[in-house]
Formats: sequence, structure tokens, C-alpha cells
Amino acid sequence: MISRISTIFTVATLGLCLTASVSLAGAIDDIIVKRQACMKANGASMGVFVPMMQGAKPFDAAAVATSVASVEAACADWAKWWAPDTMKGEMAKTKAKPEIWSDAAGFEKAGAAYYTALGEVKAAKDDAAFKAAFGHFGGSCKGCHTVYRAADE
Amino acid sequence: MQGLPYGLPGCRRVKTIKRIFTKRNVLGLALLAALGLAAFWIVTIPRPLTAEDIPTHTANIENGHMLYDAGGCHSCHLPSKDSSIDQELPAGGAPLKTPVGVLYPPNLTPDIETGLGQWTDAEFVNAMQKGIGRGGYHLIPAFPYTSYAHMKVEDVLDVKAYLATLPATKNAVPNHQVFALPIVRRGLGAWKFLGLDETKTASEASQSQGWNRGKYLVNGPGHCNECHTPRTIFMTSNMSKYLAGGPHPEGVGKVPSLVDLVGRGKYKDAKDLASALQFGEMMGYSRLSSGGMGQVQTNLSKLPEADVLAIAEYLTSLK
Repeated sequence: MISRISTIFTVATLGLCLTASVSLAGAIDDIIVKRQACMKANGASMGVFVPMMQGAKPFDAAAVATSVASVEAACADWAKWWAPDTMKGEMAKTKAKPEIWSDAAGFEKAGAAYYTALGEVKAAKDDAAFKAAFGHFGGSCKGCHTVYRAADE
Repeated sequence: MQGLPYGLPGCRRVKTIKRIFTKRNVLGLALLAALGLAAFWIVTIPRPLTAEDIPTHTANIENGHMLYDAGGCHSCHLPSKDSSIDQELPAGGAPLKTPVGVLYPPNLTPDIETGLGQWTDAEFVNAMQKGIGRGGYHLIPAFPYTSYAHMKVEDVLDVKAYLATLPATKNAVPNHQVFALPIVRRGLGAWKFLGLDETKTASEASQSQGWNRGKYLVNGPGHCNECHTPRTIFMTSNMSKYLAGGPHPEGVGKVPSLVDLVGRGKYKDAKDLASALQFGEMMGYSRLSSGGMGQVQTNLSKLPEADVLAIAEYLTSLK
């Protein structure tokens, strides 16, 4: 009997904890998760672009288009994700640095450079154009990460 | 002792104090303090090299240029953004925020008045390997002479020869903003006693040429240790945790460990790490951009491929 009560109690406690954590992971964490999903899509596109860049695979216009489309879909709401209260997550960890907000103009410029470069990759019709565009693309990633993202631990 | 109310009856504490501060004890304490100060004074005396200590050497400017990039000299000695000076020149003056205050790295161009134009070889080697400035005082170790001390003197002279080929640029750099700077500088003599190891990087016969070259570049010019090895309470490198990562020197976040990079799945192999160092995000390696490593990677991308591979071979061997 006692053990049954304690089991019920444990289950109830666990349930409460779960509910609490779900409700705690609120709007800010949602935004951070979306930002990270956008970056993951970029990372995945790198997995497609880099072998073409290295010459390990030939330039494949269709594969590039698919990758760009998935990045565009994942990052469509980018501009809405940088309210000052998203500097820190509730539960989610973020590598976004305070410089994003203290140097908002610089961050916007870095973001614009990235967006332009993505457009160049999208527009590339042949290997040479793709490689030139990719140089700007990779550079724009670095341009932003150098200042506005914290290091890996 | 005259001022003490030692005549009061029953005041044991005063009597005890009186017993401690006898003439003999006070003299002894004063002597000890004097000895301590003398020891501090002697330990902290800067001991620079003289011209006779510098070997005759025909400078190799190309090698100096390569070491300049490996050391990333430009990343700290760049001009202030507000100046009209070419940002590519190491003309100094951009503020460097450190825990001890704001530093203004000096002008490395060969300008006679404000740069290295009049520096002798011995003066340059003293700064690079002994941490002693042209005025004979200790340099703040934000300048990583603790690593450069492990370099071959000939390589240091090559760096000087390369710097001499840059356009002389007049740029008087502001004074460091450090509280009680002369006292801090003198105190650094004591710190060096603990923290400055002047052993030259030794080759290991059992290892490949590339590995040894990598070890030299990592420990000497590359000064990877300065951030990737955590520090002791005395702010010296804790070599028992060699390149094992630690708190970020700028106080925000962490510096990653370079130990067991392959085993921990960070890179596939030495070649993979070499591509990351060489190309960074240009080839989709996004890890090397943040926390100051972006500038380091830009500098390393200018190195000959063999040297980048050597660095990667050495680093991936660390377990």
C-alpha cells in the first residue's frame, strides 16, 4: 500500500515537473530554437556545397537550389528573432553575444552581407559562378560569427 | 611604544603586545622586511641581453613574414579604427581591453620616432624573448613573450627584418591605462620568476619532422598556450593542463580544449583540422570563427600548406 502511494506520488511529481518545464520553455526559447534551426539548415547546406567547392563532387544546380530553398524556409522569419529579451534563453542555451544588441547596425550589416551572398549562390548557373559566390557566402558566415557568436565550449 | 598605556593594572593584552614588540623583535622584523624588499628588488631587476649575446645572422625576410603571420602580430598591433592608417599595417594603437586595464599595443612599423626604426637587434630580442622593453622595464605579458621565448633567436631576428620592410608609418600610440603602471611593471619581475620559461622548443627524435615543426609553431610563434592552456592562481600557464582549454582571457565564455580533437569527434583527422585552419568557413568549418579564433584563422590561412599541416599533425597527437 505504502509503495503504491509512493509510486503515485512519484508519478505525480514527475508529471508536475514535466508540465512545469514545458510551460517554462516559453516564447523566448521558441525563438532561440528557431534561430538554431536556421543555423542548422545553413550547416546542412554546407554539407552539400563544400564537396562541390573542393571538387569532390561536380557542380549540381538542382542540389544547390534545394539547399538554398531549405535555408530560406528555415530562416524566413529571421528579422523577427532579435528582440532584446532573446539575449538569454529561459532553458535553451544560446551563443548569441550581447554585441548583437550593442552593435545592432553592425549585426544588420553582417546579416545583409550573408543574405546577398546566399542570393549569389542561388543565382549561380555554373561551377565558376558557384565557386565565386561560395567564397562570399563562407566569408559572410565568418564575418558574423567572429563578432556576434560566442565560442564553442 | 611610548604611547601604549602599559602602566594600567590588569591589562594583560597590552602586556602581551609589549612583550612582542621588544626592541629585539622589532629590529628583527625590520631586518626581515628589509631582506624581503631586497630579495624582491633583486628578483625583479630586468636582465636584458646585450649586443654580444645576439648571434650573427643573415636575415630571411620571407621566413620573418611567415612567422609574423603565424604569430598573428597584426591582430593586436593593428591601428585604431578611428585613424586614417591602412588597417593592414601593424602601426599599433587599437585599444586592447585586458583584466589589468586598457593596453595600446605599440607601432611595429619602422618609423624612426614612433615605431621600431631605431631598435637594435638586441632590443628587439629582449622584448620578444625576455619581455623587457626598450626602456629596460618589464613588459606586460599580454604581449606573449612567454611563448616567443621558446623560439630560435634567428627566427626572432627574421621577424624584425620583415617588419623593417613595411612602410614606416608615423603613429604615436597612447600610454597604457593601467593603475600604478611602474609598480606593476616592477612586480612583473617577480611574476616572470614563476611564469617565464625561457627553454627553447626541443625536437623529439622519435617524432616526424612535421610533428616537430608543428610543436615549434604551436608553442613558439603561434602562442596557442596563452589562451588554450588555463592559468594558475598566479596567472602563469598551468602546464599540467597543457592546451586543455579554460576560461576566456577576455572574461566571457570559454576557450576550447585542443586535447584529443579527433577522439572527441571535433575533426576527422589531422588533414581535416588542417583544412579547418587553412580555410575556416570558406570550406564550411564554422568552429574557428568565434571568441577571437576568427582572426587567428585568417592569419593561419596565410601560412604555407606544409606548416598548417604540421600544426594539425602536432595538435591531433595531443591525448
